[in-house]
Amino acid sequence: MVSLDEYYENIEDYENIAVRYNVVMYGPALKPEEDPEVAEILPEDPMKREIALAVLHGDMNLTNEKTQEGLDAGGDPVDLINNALMKGMDSVSALYTKGIYFLPDLMLSGDAMMSGVNLCESSMGHKADSKASVMSFAVEGDPHDIGKNLVVMFLNANGYDAVDLGRDVPAADVVEKAKEVNPAVMTATALMTTTMTQFEVIVAALQEAGLDIPVGCGGGAVRRDFVEETPQTFYGVAAYHMPKIADAIVDDGKTWEDIRNEYQDIVGEYVKGYAE
Amino acid sequence: MVLKSFTQMETESFDDLIFGHAKNPVEVGWEQKIGYGNVVPNVKIADDDDKAVKAICSRVEAIGLPAIQIEIENATKDSAALAAANEQLEALHENIGTKASIMVSVADDRVEKEGLRESDADVAITETLESNAQNGASILSMETIGGAEVCNFAIKKADPRALLYGVGVLGSIDMEYMWTKISDIAGKNNVAPGGDSATAQANSVMYKASGLTEEKTAHTLAAVGRAMAAVRSLVAIECGATGPTKDAAYENPIIKAITGVPISAQPRNADSGNSVLTSNLSASVCDVWTEDLDNLGNGASLMNAATQIGTNKELRASYAMADKYRDPQGVILAYDNAYKIGEAIIAEDSAYTRSAAAASKAIELINEAIDDKKLYITKFERDSLDSAQKTIEQLPDKEKKFLKTCLKRYGKKVKTHDPAQYEL
Repeated sequence: MVSLDEYYENIEDYENIAVRYNVVMYGPALKPEEDPEVAEILPEDPMKREIALAVLHGDMNLTNEKTQEGLDAGGDPVDLINNALMKGMDSVSALYTKGIYFLPDLMLSGDAMMSGVNLCESSMGHKADSKASVMSFAVEGDPHDIGKNLVVMFLNANGYDAVDLGRDVPAADVVEKAKEVNPAVMTATALMTTTMTQFEVIVAALQEAGLDIPVGCGGGAVRRDFVEETPQTFYGVAAYHMPKIADAIVDDGKTWEDIRNEYQDIVGEYVKGYAE
Repeated sequence: MVLKSFTQMETESFDDLIFGHAKNPVEVGWEQKIGYGNVVPNVKIADDDDKAVKAICSRVEAIGLPAIQIEIENATKDSAALAAANEQLEALHENIGTKASIMVSVADDRVEKEGLRESDADVAITETLESNAQNGASILSMETIGGAEVCNFAIKKADPRALLYGVGVLGSIDMEYMWTKISDIAGKNNVAPGGDSATAQANSVMYKASGLTEEKTAHTLAAVGRAMAAVRSLVAIECGATGPTKDAAYENPIIKAITGVPISAQPRNADSGNSVLTSNLSASVCDVWTEDLDNLGNGASLMNAATQIGTNKELRASYAMADKYRDPQGVILAYDNAYKIGEAIIAEDSAYTRSAAAASKAIELINEAIDDKKLYITKFERDSLDSAQKTIEQLPDKEKKFLKTCLKRYGKKVKTHDPAQYEL
């Protein structure tokens, strides 16, 4: 008995029989893992791939299940973090950057990844080595922290120890925590025009304490020229830019002035606001 | 009344589903054997076009067709076309031995709000069927409209639950009413009760989905609706219909798989010009093949030659493969998958659970084809398929609960829907 699709095997090009012009015109509905860029990022090892896919699909339970399976099978927790969980998150970033994934996707995947990382860390008995610490907060008077949460998520996903101070954080608390954590860079976010004046206050407090840590400033109403009125700062445009900027500071010793001058080169893309 | 509820497949395997052969063939009209091995060509004429009969008979004689069926569309009580066909086909059979039959399709002009049962329109339908059966029809067929109002709403709102309620449940309830009656009339007059087509329901969805690039209604949703329509069209057979079924019932391959009755098919909807993306595929398992007068008999003779040469399975595969991956509907109606949907249907015993099972299997088969990279769909189609899947997965186990929700929801929203007409 010959199955119908055995005949299909002989067909060289079905498009000589029928073309789905709607797919030609509007593009195929790809699964997230079928995106060419994502396909490049995802690990080949089947176990790691399953973990990365669980993160990519924003499935926290499955991420935990698969990570635990990986650990139980003798997987190295650090390897699982770097080459499975973070690869999943890298894929998410790629899709977010392209406008295929949206904020809720980021949040779900971010939570899934962090949950997996926690499992790995409890298996190690300590926190994973990080590239450096980065501090993030929403400034005093500002309760809006979605942007800050995204920054924290992207930093975590890229191997940074993102220290999250929360929202509505007074300058004095920032200084105190900075002395304790000694971050390579910090991010201050403000949604409102009434609170973004805090950037200047924070930098003054840092300078008074003798801290020259660069401060990335961003948020809904924030503009580059406003930020650059205050020294020691740079204007951060998108949350997913932050890991690359942190890399430039940590690995290449870039200063806040370098970042102002080389922002587009550092993040590797055209950025409106820095283009002119 | 359901005489036989199918719990196993009459057609033994998907490989036994092939054009010309049906497990339970029928003989009708003037020595017309349908499903015994040869595909019979069918040509449609309008009820008032009695002159067309002469042209058809001349054509049959001129090009040497061994068999012919004339289908009278929207046949009326005193059909002029039926009288002409009856007289001239009988003469053709007597004079040159052509096997012949007449199918009548009676228009269902009932209006739900005015009454589906025992209303004036319903009584008129009964009278037409009786008259046609007494005046030369070999096969009675219909395109019943039960559930169509809810179905129209389902199309507008792209609502898979309403589709299941309209096509699967309401459609089946009305079919049982109508086909109990048709089988009874056919039995009394010694003619064949043919079958029904979800023209007002599943075909409406398909036509609304229309061509590939229009993206009005998702073709994935149309395919899911088509699978549900098989549950509805099956009811005719369960109430005594023997085939050949209506050619507009694109779900026919599933019906043939389950019941083994001979089925009809058409290459396209010639009279409406709507986009049908499964023209070749429809031929692969048909027993009656509808064509225009200009092409009459060409398709059937090709199929019958293949049967005698022994290349019929290859031709069947060619027909099916020409459309299988053109569209999601091709995927689910290709004979291998149609058989699987049939199996999913008979594993259940109510119209509700059968429709859900048919939809669920159709979704699974479409997703398989996508995973195998044989079918590509757009995001619009993907979202619609995923939404249908979610709806089906979340359906309650109990029909009672489902009906309660539907009555509450669609009883009000669909102004033209009257649940009482379905005894709900």
